[in-house]
Amino acid sequence: MNPVFVIAGYVLREAASRKFILAFMVGLTLVLATVALSLKLEVVDGALAATRLFGEVVRANIVSVDVALRPIFRAAAYLVFYGGILFGIVACSDFAPGLLSPGRIEHLLALPLQRWHLLAGTFLGVMTLAVGGTVYAAGGLTVIFGVKTGYWTVGPLVAGGMACVGFAAVYAVMLTTATVVRSAALCSAAGFVLLVGGILAGFRADVSRYLEAGFGRTSFDAVTMVLPRLSALAVGAADLASDTPLLPGSLGMLLGGVLVFGLGALAVGFWHFEGKDC
Amino acid sequence: MDSRRRRKVWLGGALLLFAVAAVMMFRGQGDAAAPPAPEVNFPSRMSGTDFARAEKRRTWVMPTLDAGVPQAPAKPRDPLLAALPRGPGRTAVVIEANALRHSPLGELLMACLMRDGGKNLEQFKALSGVDPFQDLDRMVITDEGLILSGDFSKARYQELLGERVSSDHGPGARVYEPGDMSMPLPDGGTQRGRMDNAVGTWNNQMLVVGRSPDEVKTVLDRMDGRGTEAGPPLLDENSTYGEMYGVLAVAQLAKLLGPDQQELAQRLVDVAQNVELHLDTSGDVAMVANVSGMDADKMTDLGKSLGGMLSMARMKAQSEGNTDLAQLLDFAKVRPDGTSFKLELAVPLEAIQEQLAWCREGSKTAENAQPPTP
Amino acid sequence: MQGLRKTYHRAFGRGGHEALRGMDLVVPSGSAFGLIGPNGAGKTTFIKSVLGIVRPTAGTVRVLGGSPEDPAIRARIGYLPERLHLPGTWKSPAFLATVARLKGLKPDAPALLRLLERVGLSDAVDRRIGGYSKGMRQRLGLAAALLGEPALLVLDEPTDGIDPMGRLEVRRILQEEVRRGVTLFLNSHLLAETERVCDRVAILADGRVLREGRLEDLGRGGARWRVRFAPGAQASALVAAGFVPVGGAGSDATAATNVQAEGARDEGVYVVDAADVTVLNAALDRARASGALLVELRREGADLEAVLLGAVGSPGVAA
Repeated sequence: MNPVFVIAGYVLREAASRKFILAFMVGLTLVLATVALSLKLEVVDGALAATRLFGEVVRANIVSVDVALRPIFRAAAYLVFYGGILFGIVACSDFAPGLLSPGRIEHLLALPLQRWHLLAGTFLGVMTLAVGGTVYAAGGLTVIFGVKTGYWTVGPLVAGGMACVGFAAVYAVMLTTATVVRSAALCSAAGFVLLVGGILAGFRADVSRYLEAGFGRTSFDAVTMVLPRLSALAVGAADLASDTPLLPGSLGMLLGGVLVFGLGALAVGFWHFEGKDC
Repeated sequence: MDSRRRRKVWLGGALLLFAVAAVMMFRGQGDAAAPPAPEVNFPSRMSGTDFARAEKRRTWVMPTLDAGVPQAPAKPRDPLLAALPRGPGRTAVVIEANALRHSPLGELLMACLMRDGGKNLEQFKALSGVDPFQDLDRMVITDEGLILSGDFSKARYQELLGERVSSDHGPGARVYEPGDMSMPLPDGGTQRGRMDNAVGTWNNQMLVVGRSPDEVKTVLDRMDGRGTEAGPPLLDENSTYGEMYGVLAVAQLAKLLGPDQQELAQRLVDVAQNVELHLDTSGDVAMVANVSGMDADKMTDLGKSLGGMLSMARMKAQSEGNTDLAQLLDFAKVRPDGTSFKLELAVPLEAIQEQLAWCREGSKTAENAQPPTP
Repeated sequence: MQGLRKTYHRAFGRGGHEALRGMDLVVPSGSAFGLIGPNGAGKTTFIKSVLGIVRPTAGTVRVLGGSPEDPAIRARIGYLPERLHLPGTWKSPAFLATVARLKGLKPDAPALLRLLERVGLSDAVDRRIGGYSKGMRQRLGLAAALLGEPALLVLDEPTDGIDPMGRLEVRRILQEEVRRGVTLFLNSHLLAETERVCDRVAILADGRVLREGRLEDLGRGGARWRVRFAPGAQASALVAAGFVPVGGAGSDATAATNVQAEGARDEGVYVVDAADVTVLNAALDRARASGALLVELRREGADLEAVLLGAVGSPGVAA
C-alpha cells in the first residue's frame, strides 16, 4: 500500500480516538436528529404551507419549497464553511505536531518512506476527516429536508465540498507551520490568520477602496492577490447551496485557485521538511 | 534524486503553484466589486412621497348642499378618490400615469410607444390637444368605465365632441351623450366616427368615460358630493401607494383565472371578500395583493392553495425551460395573516428589459431612419 | 562513515552547535557493534545520521552498501529510538501492522502475534498500548524494529525500563539476531549489557571517535595473569617464583584497583607478569614445584567501564 495512504490511515485512527472529535460527531448527530424530529413541514403542491418547530407554528410565508429552503441552506452553507474551518483549525491542529513529535518522527523517518509521504499522508488523513464530517452534516441536512419536503438538491453537498477545498488551503498552511515549529497552538494561529486573510482577500476590492492610496494599499493588494479568497468561495458555496444565481466570474476557477494555493502551501511544507533535522 | 535536488523541485513547484493560484483566483473572482444582492421592495404602506402626493391632491372642497344650515368647514379632498365607486363587489384600479411614466418600467414602455419615432403621439397631440405624457396624471379603470385626471385645459372637446348632445351637470361639469365624433386629419380633412360611450368633463381636470350618461353623471355627482350611495369610496387616501393600486371585485378576479383554475376561482369567490392591489414600479416591478375574508381557517387554506398553485406553476415553468416565468414566480409568496393574506409577485426589471428589448431596437432603427434635421 | 560532520545551526545565524566533528567509522557486516560515550558525545546524532534522519553537514554515510536516504536501504534497517512514542489508544497488533505496511510488508496477523510472543508481549495483545509499562513499550518498539527481518538493527537504549529478567530475554533475542547474521548497532548506557552483547565497540566523545575495535583488544590489560592457588600454598615460595599476592603493589593502577577489590574476598590469589605462554608456564611450574596447587588461571584485563574511563579521561557519567 502506498505509504501516503498508510499515514492517512494512521492519522484517521488517531482522530477516531480523540474524544472531542467523537463528541463533535455525536453533537452533530444530535442536532440533525433534533431537526429531524422537531421540525414538521406541511407541503402543498410543492409550496411550504406551514412550519411547526417543537409543535409551535412558525409564522412564515407560503412559498415554493426550494425558495423557502434557500435561507436555511444558505445559512447551513455558511455554517459548514466557516464553522467547519474553525472547528478543523482547532480539532486538527495537533495531528501534525503529534506526528512530528520526538520519539515518533525518528521512528517514522527511519522507515522506508519519503519525507513528503508523511506530510501528504497527514494532509490526506485530515482532509478525509473533513470531507467525512462535511458529507455527514450537509448530507444529513439534505436528507432531512428532502424527506420532509420532497425537494432534493445536491446544493448543500456541493457547498460542503467547496468548504473542504477552503479548509484544504488552511490546513496546508497549518501543516507547513508544523514543519517549522512543532506547536499545535502556533499551527492553529497560522490557520486562523490565514482564515482572516482569506476573508479579507475575498473582499479585497471592497477593502482596498477604504485604504489610502500608496504603499499600504499596494501592499494589501499584493498580499491578498496570493491569499486564498475564502470569503468569495463561501459566498459561492452559499449561492450554490441555495440555488441562487451565481455572481459573475467563474466559480470553478476560484475553487481551483484556492485548491492550487493549498497545494503550493503543501509544497512549501515539503521543501522545508525535506531539509529538516528531526 | 537526493534531498537537495528534491528540495529545489518542491520550492520551484510551490512558487509556480502560488502564481497559478493567484491567476486562477483573479480570473475566477476578478476585482470588480460584487453587485448588491437583488432585493425587491414590495409596496406595503404609504411612504413619505406618497403622503406628500396625496396632500397635494386634496384640492377640492365639496360644495355644501344646504346653505341655510351652518356646517363645519369641509376639508379639501382628492376629487378623483371621491369619484370612485362605493360598496362591496366593485372594482376600481388607479394607474398613476405620471409616476409610471417616470419609473424605470415607464421608460421601457415609453421606448415601446415611441418606437415609431413618436409620430403617432404627435398625431394624437395634434388631434386632441392633450399630451398624454405631460397632461395625464392618473387613469382609473372601474367596472363603470374610465376616469382620467390631469390638466385638460388644452383639450379640444368642442372639435372632438362638438356634434354630440351635451349638457352641463353642475358647476364646471359637462356630460356628452354617446354619438358621432369627428376627427380632423393632418391633411385638413375630417374623419367621422361613432362612439357608444358617454363622456363627462369636470373643471378641465377630469374626463369621465361611461357606458351611459347616467353613469357618467353618477361619477360626477360623487365628485361634487351629490352622490346617493352609502359608504366611503373604494379606496381610502391611505391606500394610494404604488404606481398602480386599487380594489378588485373577487368575482372579476375569479374570471381572470384560467379554465384550469376554476376550483380555485370558486374558492376565491366563496371565501374572499376583497382584494386590494398595489403595484410598485420604482425599481423592479413588485405587486402585492391583499386578499381579505371573514373566516381565518378558510383564508389560510386559500392562501395555501394559492401558494401551491404558484409553486406548481413555477415548477412547471422550470421543467419546461421557461426561465422567464420561473424567475417571475421565484419571488412569488403568500403571507398569511389571520383573516387575510398577502400575495406577493415580482418581476425583475432586468427580465422586463429583456422582454422589451425589441422596442429599443425598433426605436433605434426609427431614429436612424429619420432624415437628419437641417 | 567518512569525515562525518554535523553542525546544528541556530535560527537567524546566531552561531551553532557542532555535534559531530569529523567521524570516520567502519562497522563490519554481521558484527554486534556497541556505541558508548558520555552525554553530549554525539551518539544520538550519529545514529540519526546513519538512518538519514539528520542530514550531515559534511562527510558521507554508507549503510548496507547504499545511502540512508534511499528507502530501499532503510527498508533493511530496524530501528528502535531512545524514547519511542507509541499511539496510546492502539493495540500492539494494529501498531505493528501499520509499521509493517510502512515497511512495505503485507501484514501477516499470525506472524505479528509470533513476534509479540518473541518479545514477551503475548499476554498484552488485547490491551491498549497506553496501559503498557515502560518496559512493555520497549519490547513493542523492539518488535517493530525486528519486523521484516532487517539486515541492520539500530537500537538506542533497548533495555531501558525493562526488568532484569526482561533484559535477559532481550539480550537473548539480540544474540539470536546476531547469530542469524544481522549487524547490530547498539547504544546503551548499560556498559555491562554492551559488553555482553557486542563484539566491537566505539567510544565517542565530543563528536569524535576516540577508540574503536574488538572488545577484547580494547580491554586487554597486557601480560598480567591472575592465579588462585589452593589453601596451604607457601606464600614465600610463590613470591620467589614471581607471583605477587593480591593487595601488593602493581604496575597498573587500574589493574591494582581491580585486584584489590577481589583479593579482599579471596585468599591465595596472586598475579604474575608473563610476556608469553612459555614464561607463564615456567612460573607455574615453579609454583607447583613448591607444592602449590593451581585452582584458577585467568588473564587479567580491564572491563568496558575502565576502557571508557581510560579513553575519555574523566570520571564522568558514561553513555
